[in-house]
Amino acid sequence: MSVGPMISDLLRSLFKQPATELYPFVKTPAPTRLRGKLTWDPTSCTGCQLCVKDCPANAIELIVIDKANKRFIMNYHADHCIYCAQCVVSCRFNCLRLSNEDWELAAAQKQPFEVYYGKEEDVALFMEQAAKTGAKQA
Amino acid sequence: MTADTNKFVIPIGPQHPALKEPANFEFWVDGEIVTGASVRLGYVHRGIEKGAEARTWTQNLYLMERICGICSHVHATAYTLGVEKLAGVEVPPRANAIRQLMAELERIHSHMLWLGVAAHEGGFDTLFMYSWRDRETVMDLLEKISGNKVHYSANLLGGVKFDITPELAAEVHKGLDFLEERNRFYLKVVTTDETFIGRTRDIGTMTTEKAEFLGAIGPTARASGVARDIRVDAPYLTYDQFPVKVMTHTSGDLHGRFIVRIHETFESIRVIREILDHIPQGDLTTRVPRRIPAGEAVSRVEAPRGELLYFIASNGSEKPERVKVRTPSLCNWSTVLSLAIGLKLADMPMLLSGIDPCFSCNDRSIRLKRGQQDPQVWSWEKLRQYGIEYYR
Amino acid sequence: MNLSLPPILVLLVFPGGLFLIASGLIYQWADRKLVARFQNRIGPRFIQPLADTLKLLAKEEITPVGVHKGLFFALPVIALAAALTAGLYVPLSGFRPAASFRGDLIIALYALSVLTLTMGLAGANTISRFSLVGATRTLTQLFSYEAPFLLSLLGPAIAAGTWQISEINTYAGQNLWLIIAQPIGFLVALIGLMGKLELPPFDAPEAETEIVAGAMTEYSGRGFALFRLGKDVELIIGLTLVSAFYLGGLGNPLEFVLKTLALLLVLALLQTAFARLRIDQTVGLWWRAGALLAVVQLIAIVLGRNLGTIF
Repeated sequence: MSVGPMISDLLRSLFKQPATELYPFVKTPAPTRLRGKLTWDPTSCTGCQLCVKDCPANAIELIVIDKANKRFIMNYHADHCIYCAQCVVSCRFNCLRLSNEDWELAAAQKQPFEVYYGKEEDVALFMEQAAKTGAKQA
Repeated sequence: MTADTNKFVIPIGPQHPALKEPANFEFWVDGEIVTGASVRLGYVHRGIEKGAEARTWTQNLYLMERICGICSHVHATAYTLGVEKLAGVEVPPRANAIRQLMAELERIHSHMLWLGVAAHEGGFDTLFMYSWRDRETVMDLLEKISGNKVHYSANLLGGVKFDITPELAAEVHKGLDFLEERNRFYLKVVTTDETFIGRTRDIGTMTTEKAEFLGAIGPTARASGVARDIRVDAPYLTYDQFPVKVMTHTSGDLHGRFIVRIHETFESIRVIREILDHIPQGDLTTRVPRRIPAGEAVSRVEAPRGELLYFIASNGSEKPERVKVRTPSLCNWSTVLSLAIGLKLADMPMLLSGIDPCFSCNDRSIRLKRGQQDPQVWSWEKLRQYGIEYYR
Repeated sequence: MNLSLPPILVLLVFPGGLFLIASGLIYQWADRKLVARFQNRIGPRFIQPLADTLKLLAKEEITPVGVHKGLFFALPVIALAAALTAGLYVPLSGFRPAASFRGDLIIALYALSVLTLTMGLAGANTISRFSLVGATRTLTQLFSYEAPFLLSLLGPAIAAGTWQISEINTYAGQNLWLIIAQPIGFLVALIGLMGKLELPPFDAPEAETEIVAGAMTEYSGRGFALFRLGKDVELIIGLTLVSAFYLGGLGNPLEFVLKTLALLLVLALLQTAFARLRIDQTVGLWWRAGALLAVVQLIAIVLGRNLGTIF
């Protein structure tokens, strides 16, 4: 039984730095295992679609341009992603990785969350086709 | 209980500063004395059990994890245990040990969160701020181990995603030393501070018989002297290899619940150290088929709030036929309602938080089947019309 | 120190009116900042209380169903006016009080009680259940701390032989600090001040986890801003009174700032160190311990004085 067992701690706090992190101004480095934005390496992808099937949030789309020549584009919806790393485990060819650097993904528009991965010429080709079909529909 | 129109009713919720999640409590008061209580749940029903039937076994793992934000790992563990039982696979011991490690770290984080919330309900904001500040330590540890701070997604069907390296183990040891020291301090505050004892001792006292009669579980029951803990009674994961002690208290009041939870934190810290020092070697995963053989399985684990039960039925396809979850919070509501009567209104927030309620995980929709021409069975049109009229 | 200003300035700008409100806001900031630092947080910026007040004043004021409209609008004004009136009789910032006469101690304390009374009435005026419970608690608490607080301030008055605040202030400045001569009285006055200001752990009347904002639940916009300003003014007046009586009087602005801030530091420490008391515990504490201690102190003073005259 005592009155105010916290007082010594309180007085110590008065002369300590506040525990609050001044986040946007002072940044602490993220741990190495942090799960941030998904990155995809197209070179070894076989297009097995396991990552698409296993993704619980339907954040991954694999667009096939040419199955025989292994030309794929990945459409990654960063706003759907729940960063569970199931796709990373599911991929047998280690194409997928969750970055620990790119994790500040807030944006005011929807557009930055639509990410296309792939070889440059493939993405360009796909975009061209999408623009064409879009124009036709309109 | 039915509402009496002559009574002075204090509504708490669905939106109220005392509640972090929506639920509606009505307390009938005579001055400051509570003479009756009722609860209405269901504001955050999310249809997860139904949703599980439309997803594959793997996808469901993450859906189940999201039933609760505080005890996410425990939900995923209960689900994987059930699915692995159905599939008949043996998970490597190292994976199980890592699962247990994560579960115990999660228990520390959950109990420290609860300590802060309960202190805040009692108007002890300093204890709230301090315990949440120190809880950051265990959350940072979980982030370092798993990569995520809240939904760790540690489990896979048939194993875990990551290993514990010696460097990580050293960091966890360091964090645990700090947490142990801080929790000793909180135990001292909780057991010696005159004002805090005045708000907790002999408030909401529940005898052992009453706790068993009302079906209380978890730390709420253990504070009333019911020595029941799934980790000991039916060991899962590696709990037989790294056993924990059941922490009980005889007082049965709010004070006892504080003491039990802080002692459980110490016990978790002890068992985590043991796991880190004697972690079995081996693989992290085994293969689990994409189609789970037909059958039914029940898995039980001890969540920070009490016993968590999963019933899983499979019809041999890629998707489960039925997943039934019984979360611990639902079992403890009756204790709140029956203990409230005779207490002061000021005790209500603390009594509510005393069971460490998690509202979103205990909301259910139930359809009663009583034969063919039952007026209880409504068509969708009628239900929709009722919903529109109700809120008009 | 003495200042001679035209009465209209005294009332509206200094030391009454604007200056009082401004310093009330500053002390509110200091209090919040200190509490935050004790809790290892950063705390609000300097401009925060002013920003809060301006925001509230600019907001729509909602008149709830079932209130007496006239009372609903008048009560916040009366509350702030009462607090500002009390400010005229205390030695703010170390200057001589703006107004002074025999027995103004009673008037000042009465004006501060009017503030609490209006808050109680404001709660009772509405049909909100949180407000009604809050009003009951506010008034219950008023009846419990008022007597001990008054008795504890009477100690210095008896020692000084006058009921005039300015004279007690002068007496306190010329003699041994009364905190040493009457330690029990100081303790009761300090805790009484916390009860009067409804600071934790005596914040049962506005316990947010039970009754949202207590008597103030239905107030928004202008009315709420005025009540808050009234509370801020009450804080600074309370600090001035206790430090003038017990901490060796307030002779100049520097002394005023140092002594009131030191007192505020203790107040903030006590605010953070305890769990909220239930209203029955508060009343019990005051009548069992507070009043008794204050009476013991009074008897000691009276005995001391009488024995002093004998010898």
